[in-house]
Amino acid sequence: MAFIKLNDLEVEVEDGTNIVEAARQHGIEVPHYCYHPGLSRPANCRMCLVEPYVFFPPAGAIVPDRQLATGCTTTVRTAPPDRKLDGKYDFIVQTDSPRVKKAREDILEFLLVHHPLDCPVCDQAGECDLQDFSHRHGHDKSRYLEVKNVPPKKDLGPDVLLYSTRCIVCTRCIRFCEEVSGSGELGLIHRGSHDEIDIPRSHDGTPIQVLDNKLAGNVVDICPVGALISKDFLFKSRPWFLEKANSVCTGCSVGCNITVEYKPDGVYRLKPRFHGDINQYWMCDDGRLGYHYVNSEDRLQLPLKRVDDELTPTHWADALTVITEKLSEVAAEDILVIGSAQGTNEDNYVLQQFAHDVLQTTQLGLFGQLPGEEHKFPQFSIEADKNPNTAGARTILGSANGNNVLEGDALWEKVSGAKVVYLVSGAPERPLEDAEKSALESVDFLIVQDILPSEVTELADVVLPGTTFAEKDGTFTNSTGWVQRIRKAIDPPGEARADWEITQQLAKQLGGEMNYHFAGEIALAIAENVPGYGDATHQKIGDAGIKLT
Amino acid sequence: MIEEKRILYEHLDVPDINTFDVFRQYDGYTRFEKAIAEYQPEDIAKMVMDSGLKGRGGAGFSTGLKWSFVPRDIKPCYLCCNADESEPGTFSNRYVLEKNPHLLIEGILICCYAMGIETTYVYIRGEFTLGKKMLDAAIKEAYEKGYLGKDVRGTGLNIDIYTHPGAGAYICGEETGLIESLEGKRGQPRNKPPFPAVEGVFGKPTVVQNVETLCNLPFIVGNGVEWYTQMGPTYADTRANPPTPDPNTGTKLYCISGDVNEPGVYELELGLTSTELIEVAGGLRGEEVKAVIPGGSSAPILTHYELDTRLDFTSLTLAKSMLGSGGIIVMNETRNIVDCLLNIMKFYAHESCGQCTPCRWGTPWVRDIVQRIADGNGRKSTITRPKFGVAENGRWGDTGETEEIYEDLDLLESVANNIANVDTMTWNTICVFGIAVSWPAVSYMRKFRPEFEAAIREGKLVTLSVAEATVPPEENYAYQQRFVPKEFADL
Ligand SMILES: Cc1cc2nc3c(=O)[nH]c(=O)nc-3n(C[C@H](O)[C@H](O)[C@H](O)COP(=O)(O)O)c2cc1C
Ligand code: SF4
Ligand code: SF4
Ligand code: SF4
Ligand code: FES
Repeated sequence: MAFIKLNDLEVEVEDGTNIVEAARQHGIEVPHYCYHPGLSRPANCRMCLVEPYVFFPPAGAIVPDRQLATGCTTTVRTAPPDRKLDGKYDFIVQTDSPRVKKAREDILEFLLVHHPLDCPVCDQAGECDLQDFSHRHGHDKSRYLEVKNVPPKKDLGPDVLLYSTRCIVCTRCIRFCEEVSGSGELGLIHRGSHDEIDIPRSHDGTPIQVLDNKLAGNVVDICPVGALISKDFLFKSRPWFLEKANSVCTGCSVGCNITVEYKPDGVYRLKPRFHGDINQYWMCDDGRLGYHYVNSEDRLQLPLKRVDDELTPTHWADALTVITEKLSEVAAEDILVIGSAQGTNEDNYVLQQFAHDVLQTTQLGLFGQLPGEEHKFPQFSIEADKNPNTAGARTILGSANGNNVLEGDALWEKVSGAKVVYLVSGAPERPLEDAEKSALESVDFLIVQDILPSEVTELADVVLPGTTFAEKDGTFTNSTGWVQRIRKAIDPPGEARADWEITQQLAKQLGGEMNYHFAGEIALAIAENVPGYGDATHQKIGDAGIKLT
Repeated sequence: MIEEKRILYEHLDVPDINTFDVFRQYDGYTRFEKAIAEYQPEDIAKMVMDSGLKGRGGAGFSTGLKWSFVPRDIKPCYLCCNADESEPGTFSNRYVLEKNPHLLIEGILICCYAMGIETTYVYIRGEFTLGKKMLDAAIKEAYEKGYLGKDVRGTGLNIDIYTHPGAGAYICGEETGLIESLEGKRGQPRNKPPFPAVEGVFGKPTVVQNVETLCNLPFIVGNGVEWYTQMGPTYADTRANPPTPDPNTGTKLYCISGDVNEPGVYELELGLTSTELIEVAGGLRGEEVKAVIPGGSSAPILTHYELDTRLDFTSLTLAKSMLGSGGIIVMNETRNIVDCLLNIMKFYAHESCGQCTPCRWGTPWVRDIVQRIADGNGRKSTITRPKFGVAENGRWGDTGETEEIYEDLDLLESVANNIANVDTMTWNTICVFGIAVSWPAVSYMRKFRPEFEAAIREGKLVTLSVAEATVPPEENYAYQQRFVPKEFADL
């Protein structure tokens, strides 16, 4: 630990920390653009200038250094005892001296000379570092009278637009494509004040390569201004109208930490959230853009039951009665309960409790998305398992005594022999193979709990409307054993309900003694009963997650 | 009459000196042979240190000192010869490349021997096609004669030279921009530290040296340190107590252009004044000297009051200018300083690499302001300053005093100083290109302010007489702070 004097604070920071981070840790803002903790540090924006102090032997005193230093590249280290400043400090730095303030004003003035200042129509307004830092550290008037550069707007790839006029040439986007995705689509063309970000093009301007790697969306996040814009979000909402919920991506088993940004009428976008051991600052575009089903018009909103071979809407009481009647008719060994790798640990726990304690069957199965492609980047991986909770669902479904969790062929074999199947899906796009389809068709009475109409719901006798990750609380366990929380952002559509609530209701109607009020309560039961999950209470998991030991 | 002192250029005009055989007749490669026969590498480094040789490329940094920063235990170590000569007004390296390339090779060999270097890159300005051709041919010959390649002349040294043409960017003359460009990247200077001496080409220690600097080495080795230090003044650096010697030794290839009768490269001992130099170059063309740019276009300008400043590293630095690349541009009474500044600012605005914010957007801004003034659209406002004092009516209040403000001149100075501050010599840029921009901008404007004011007042470019255009010494910031160094021997 280095002991530093930061303005008038005396603080301890870890060796190797730069001044921007050291200040941030202690609530002091050092404005910066080109610096991003996940990328290399070219120190080209010159926004983060700070004033270090040095010992000046001729004067025998500690004085401000002759030149200001860039806070992003100035790191602090423990000094040897004879090199301490004032006998105790490893470093002395001012982030708010008059010189620093003047330098910031000057840099901001330069940044704005060619800037269009079209904040009223700019998507970034409200979450723009240029706006914020200008407001907090800049001038209120422009001295620039000359003609502004107006470089063209460019379509860089499937989801990314470049408003070149707003670009401050911090090169974060270029470095991202070089260092994290390793795909190198972006670069600078021209020189000096005509610098422009671009993709490789032939002389007539036709793109040779476009920005369509699976991590491309991250450049929009890291662009400190409104230059790189997501087409998906363009003009949809002002960011300050969006509420935020910390959650986890459901796109694959990596379990990227995300923020769900929403309004009461739906989810507007997903943004990655930092997690040092899982996704760093990033997420992939499959996850980022994969939320649209949540807002779908087709969402199942009411329970359905088959009447004259047609699925017809009904009310909960009716649907549940139909199911419980059927369930009490058949023997336990003819019932198969299938959980979902898309569901939370809580959903699956209640489901297995229902199967084991109420239906008294030990035959369970695990359903979910089919494996997809795996992608490896220099600093990121997308996993082949396209379910967020395979590990958790598997453990939890199998946690009670004697439970046998079937997957793959064994599962479908079992399905074809079962009379009643209660299938919790949550993976509506999953295609069914012929064998799987005929297995399901052979079932006497098929109960499907899902969020959208699908190949599976088409075969069902009763369909129960469940919820997506954005509409419920719970936890997922990723492929590396991290248990992390998802949080309810919006209300489920219509009469849809959290999956565990539906299961619990069924259990109650069949005389089970389940009485959970919220997902956190189930997590306490999991912590008590599932080996390894002792610490996995919502309180302990918090925003950082916990790693199973 | 001042005589040229030709050392580097001595045999420049000998026919076929570019061939190995002729070069050999004029002591070619004997200095290198002497170096390996008589001295250890450390001895050469010490000789260079003692000779007081300062880099001729622009910064004027002591070559011996630079070499001493190179860690000896990290290999490979590289030499980059900076032949990107693109500073406006500078054209001395070019003649070495075109006419006497073997001299450069010999200099490189001595440097490689002294520093234990096996690989040298010569980064040649892209436009120097002839120079590159001649150097390539000379390198080929040197390989054939065994002065380059494996086991040079049976000494066990392996030395290779590669030439690399630039692609037309001025900024690739800046040493780290050069290195980036050499590595195949965009020519954008690096943040320092680490300096190239520690982390340069491919992350290894690298000595970056100008062509002229390297060409001095054979003569230092051949004729000895004592001979060398007799040329040029050695001043006393009085910041130290007792004063330390501050050598400005050797000759300089002064490139004289502008309003002189015989422009060209003149090799002279360091320490002559501008007046003397103009005389050497055939005298002034025109009536009067209006201004002299002493060190390439980025150097602060000298007025006719400052012509007695000696054109060496120390004197010019103490006169708030610099010797830079030794490109001396003389201007007579017909020249308009606003126009000159516009010309120079167009160059810099075009050449900024665009990496860092102040330079990328400040340099074209400065250019545009000067352009506006030159076009006659400069802004002047007469404002009423609310000066408080005893007013006419005898009561305390607003005196209603008016003052003429040349807004655009204030703006010009402020913007230039925000790129790099000329007064405090501090900059917020990555490389010193920033100061190369603000130095001319601020110095021209301050020293020839009447001409700038006239352009704004009249709404067009007005060339004033030398006396009218120049700010008198008492108001000249640089003249006021000028410090004439004392020679060490006088103390
Ligand atoms: C903007 C800029 C341009 C430069 N251009 C050149 C150049 O064209 N040739 C050169 O030799 N040095 C140039 N320099 C100086 C080099 O950075 C470096 O100081 C020099 O090559 C070191 O060699 P020396 O010590 O032998 O002078 C330039 C510096 C700057 C800041
Ligand atoms: S990038 Fe920021 S400052 Fe620029 S127009 Fe957009 S919101 Fe405004
Ligand atoms: S587009 Fe954005 S991230 Fe890329 S250089 Fe410009 S401002 Fe920086
Ligand atoms: S000062 Fe100018 S030339 Fe130097 S790095 Fe910055 S932008 Fe490039
Ligand atoms: S954040 Fe430090 S220079 Fe850009």
